Formats: sequence, C-alpha cells, structure tokens
Amino acid sequence: MKKKMMSLLMVGAMAVGMLAGCGGVKTDSEAASEAAGGNGKADTATEAATGKNAYSDEIKIGFLPNVIGDSCAAAWAEGMESYLGNFSNVTFNVFDGKASVDTENTIMEQMINENYDAIILQATDAAGLAASTDKAEAAGIPVITCNLDADTVHTGLVAGVDTEAGQQIAERIGESLGGKGKVVIISATPGATKGENIDKGFKEVLKEKYPDIEILDEQSGEWLTENANTVMNDFLTKYQDIDAVLCHNDAMAEGAAEAAKAANKEIQIWGVDGESKMLDYIEQGLCTGTVYTDCQKQGAACAQFCMYAIGSGITAKNLSATPVVKMAPIVVTKENLSEITEDMRW
Amino acid sequence: MRQENMRRLISVASLVILALVFGFTSNGFFTATNILSILRECAITGIIAIGVSFVIITAGIDLSTGAIVGFVSMLCANLLYNYALPAGLVMFISVLAGTVCGVLNGFVVTKLRVPEFIATLSTQYLFRSLVFVFAIREMGVITNKKITDPGILIMGGSVNGVYLVTITFFALAVIGQVILKKTKLGTYIYATGANRKSADLSGINTDNVRWAVFIITGFLCGIASIFEIGRIGSATTDLGTGLEFEVIAAVVIGGCAFSGGRGDIFGTAVGAIFMAVLQNGILKYNLPTAAQLIIKGVVIVAMIVFDSVYNQYMQKRIHQKASEEAQAAGGEA
Repeated sequence: MKKKMMSLLMVGAMAVGMLAGCGGVKTDSEAASEAAGGNGKADTATEAATGKNAYSDEIKIGFLPNVIGDSCAAAWAEGMESYLGNFSNVTFNVFDGKASVDTENTIMEQMINENYDAIILQATDAAGLAASTDKAEAAGIPVITCNLDADTVHTGLVAGVDTEAGQQIAERIGESLGGKGKVVIISATPGATKGENIDKGFKEVLKEKYPDIEILDEQSGEWLTENANTVMNDFLTKYQDIDAVLCHNDAMAEGAAEAAKAANKEIQIWGVDGESKMLDYIEQGLCTGTVYTDCQKQGAACAQFCMYAIGSGITAKNLSATPVVKMAPIVVTKENLSEITEDMRW
Repeated sequence: MRQENMRRLISVASLVILALVFGFTSNGFFTATNILSILRECAITGIIAIGVSFVIITAGIDLSTGAIVGFVSMLCANLLYNYALPAGLVMFISVLAGTVCGVLNGFVVTKLRVPEFIATLSTQYLFRSLVFVFAIREMGVITNKKITDPGILIMGGSVNGVYLVTITFFALAVIGQVILKKTKLGTYIYATGANRKSADLSGINTDNVRWAVFIITGFLCGIASIFEIGRIGSATTDLGTGLEFEVIAAVVIGGCAFSGGRGDIFGTAVGAIFMAVLQNGILKYNLPTAAQLIIKGVVIVAMIVFDSVYNQYMQKRIHQKASEEAQAAGGEA
C-alpha cells in the first residue's frame, strides 16, 4: 500500500516536472502577449500601431463598473449607450462588478476570452485590477478606465474630478471658516485612486493656506450612504465641535447629512460627484455643496476614447504612461444650483 | 449500484447537464480558453473545499475559511512590501500562518468545547480584523500596493494554458481522496462524523480527529492564498469575503451531508467545478445582477433539496431492506 502511494506520488511529481519543463510557466500577461503575437513591448518608438476600422468592422465594447446599481454608473452607461448606439456595427455590453475585486477579475477574464475590442473599466481596486488590465492590454484589447484607475500603464483614463475637487472644497471650507476650525473626513474605500487624490488635494490646500484648520479624524465610508451615516454618528459622539465634513462622494455626504440632521447639528457637508439626490439635499439646505461632474458626458468620453483606441490600434505597449482626460469640475452650492439644468442631472 | 456510486453518478450527471445547457444556449462556452478559465476559477474554491469536506464529514463546519484566506493574503502582501522577503520564504510563512489559524479553530472547538458554527463564526471576525492589522498603510491610510515579486506572480501563471492552481487542486484532491479512503485517519474521520459517541467508545480520539481536520483546512487555506495573490497581484481588505459559502455550497453539492459520515473528495471536486460552471454560464447570458443571483440561489437550493430528499429515500430503502432480511431470518429460525 505504501509502495503504491509512493510510486503514485513519484509519477505525479515527474509529470508535473515534465509539464513545467516542457512549456515553461508563464504569467497571464506573458501568455496573452505571446498569443497576440509580439513581445509585449514596442521595439522602437516609430513602430506603427494598426487598428481596425471602428466604424465598419464588427466591434464589441464592454463596460465593467464597480457597482452597476449606483446612479453614477447608470449615468455613465447612459452616456456610453447614447453615443455608441449611433453606430450599428458596435455591440455594447454592461456588466456588474458587484464591488468585488474577484468578480471584476473574473469578468475581465471573460471579456478577454470572448475577444472584446475594448474594455471600459471602473476598477474596484487599483492594485487588484492591475494584473487583468495588463493581460487585456497584452492581448491587444485597449482598457479605458473610468474614474477609478488601475495601477498599471493602460490605454487611457477618463477621470472625474479628484485632486481639483479636494483643492476647491478645501478653499471653500477654509474661506467660510475664516481660516480656523475643525473638520473630519469620511473617505472612500481604501485603495481607490479617486479617494486618495481627493484627499491629497484637500490636505495640500489646507496645509498651505489654512494651517489652523484641524483635521480631527478620517474614516472610510466605503462609498456607501449607510456606512457614512454610522461613521458620522461615531464622529458626532466622539467630537464636540465639528465645523465641516468632507465626504469623498455624494452618497456618503447624504449619509452624513442624515446623521447631522438627527443630531440637530449645523455642519458644513461637502460631497463630490454632483448626483441629482445631492443637488436636492443642497437645495433643502441639508448639504453645503458638491463638485459636479457631468457623468453622461464622461461616459460618452470613455466610449469616444475607445473608438479612437480601436481605430488606432494603440495599446499599453506603445505608451510609457497612461494618458488622462480630466472632466471639468463645477463647484455647486445653493447659490449656483440653477447652473445645473434638468437634463444635466443624473 | 452502491449508494455512494449512485450519488457520484448523480453529481457528475448534474454537472454534465448544466454544462450542456450553457453550451447550447450561449456562445463561446465550449472553447479551450473558457474551459481552462472554468478550471482555474474552481481551483481556489476547490483547494479549500478539500479541507472543508473533511470538516463536514466529521459533522462539523468551518465558516472562517474566507477570513483565513484574507488574513494570510494580506500578511503576504505586507511582508513583500515592507520587508522584501524572498518569495519562497513568504510562501512558507503563508502556509504556516494558515495552519496556525486552523490550529486555533481546532483548539476552540475541541478544548474550549464551543460548537463549530459559533466557534468558526467568531474566529472569522478575529481573522478579518487581523487583515486590517496587517494592511499596508501610507500616512495612516490603508493603501493597496501591487505585488511585484515574480516568484509570487508566477503562481498565478499557466503551463501551456493549464493554470498552476488547477494542477495543484487536482493533485491535492487526489491526495485528499487517498487520505479519506485508504488511511486510518480517513476511517476515523468517517466514524467521527457518522456517530461520534460510538467512535469514542471504539477508542478513536474524536477530539484529535476534529482538531486535525481544522488544521488541514487551515493549511489548505494558506496554499489557496498564495495562488489568489499570485493571480490578482495584490491583497484587498475584503479579499475572501463570502468565500466560505461558495466552498460549503461546493462541498454539499458534491455529496457531503451536514449530518456527517458521508461524502468524498471526488464529489467535492465535482461540486467545485459545478459552482464554477454555474458562475461562468450565468455571466455568459449578461443578465442583470438580480437575475444572476436568483438563478445561482435557485440552482444551489435545488441541488441541496434534491440531496436531502435522495438521502432520505436511500435511508428508507436501507431500513426496508434490513427489516425484510430480519423477517426472512426470523421466519427461517
């Protein structure tokens, strides 16, 4: 019996050894770029990229947001659909990342296997989606990230306002408090580039221009209203004086506003995004302001970027850094609320 | 046909039917890349399911496996980022850490006499909190850093298209099946699950057996973590969340009963592949998330209900047969 087991194990080990020796173990991106032909890096700067005819060949584009359920993702999808719907050769599919790195990786893998021509990705986690983005790019599929970046060189990023939003909000808070006061921050899911950039911009301006404004605390609300509500309640119990709150997105600002209302406290509450619900809250005086991004236009921009990438054949191997297109920030408070018209709301 | 083989046939038949349904109703299901993808997806769940099968056969349960994977992955990422340790050492530490988690689980269950459900639910929270302790921080804020060590990243790789994790899963499944069916430990595991009191009276140290299966599960979670971070290239704070339910579903669909004493690794492997096929097929339809979850839930519940009904039916038949034979023997005497 023991002999049988030993011999089985030896055979198994030999087989694995042979397999390993024969093929050589390759990571996903290496295997993908081999399959696509080429060594994964452009040899010279003058090597021309060749693409498809984006307006006559059959094209498949996929959109993978973090969570399809939130209003931002819905607005992006609308913007993409309304643009791509003009071209009958384009098939556009929307997936759901379910806020999970594992799910997004699985869906990326599926889109690569089904030979999509371009992928628009909102990365749940910058580092966690880097490997599949590399694999897609190596297989010749341009990846355009929307709002949430992936931590690797890829064909493009269409960024909603982040750093500038943080800077502008810091300015507004600083001015209104006369340079002195206490603020708390309800931040994004750890690892999200957008949250990091908003934070960076905010803290930069506070440090430089308003050093007497103290940041009491910073906790993650994970982009969610309910979580932000809990965090805000904690803050209100812990700290007697809070003058202002920075939330990395509107959903969290709404949660914080409810908590402040329940505690009957007058606090400046700022969000980022500019969703319709937030604009209502600003109108009702529950929130102070937000930095609006036209999400439908942002979605359309991602789709246009895709058509450009497909047509030119440019992928990560022709680039040394990810090119970024930034959406214009519009600071919205009660005073200029009318600037955002009905059809701009999402 | 023996009950065991009948059940195995039913598991495999369900898998084949499911695969055929998806194959004929969607595009690109039966392609080499898709099948290799499915085998890759099933492997992480499968590796952990081997250990959880042992636990469930002893009539226990382990709800902390996802949290162990999360903790070990984050520990690895932390060590690679802060100390730049060699890949081999990090892999050894990760397997060791997983095993220690298993030892803790076994200790709480056998020595502190806490029922498995509560014990592993509590350790789940403990291990998840350790994820945050070991999370990489820059200026006090958690940031996820990419893993760049090629020794680790190669674990997410493939040989001629077949993923390393798939090969490891099948190798470990074979070893697991051999342990269950051909070793004393295997016999003790079945005995402990079928009737713990009888097993105790026969001289089997059921505490040690139950401790051992938790240690094996922890060990396998450590191995699975290496492949997980090798594939994804980073560790997030929510890695592994919900994994324990996928694993348990795979084990139960494969034929292990919660009451213990029944099932094997072959069935579990089929169950793991079944879950991966189900997930892959549903994605192919590009349905809205709600519909996806409904389909997945309905299929899993249907399999579990069928398993329960089938088990009851077979028990009835066995009793019937036994009483017939007893009557015949009584009649003769």
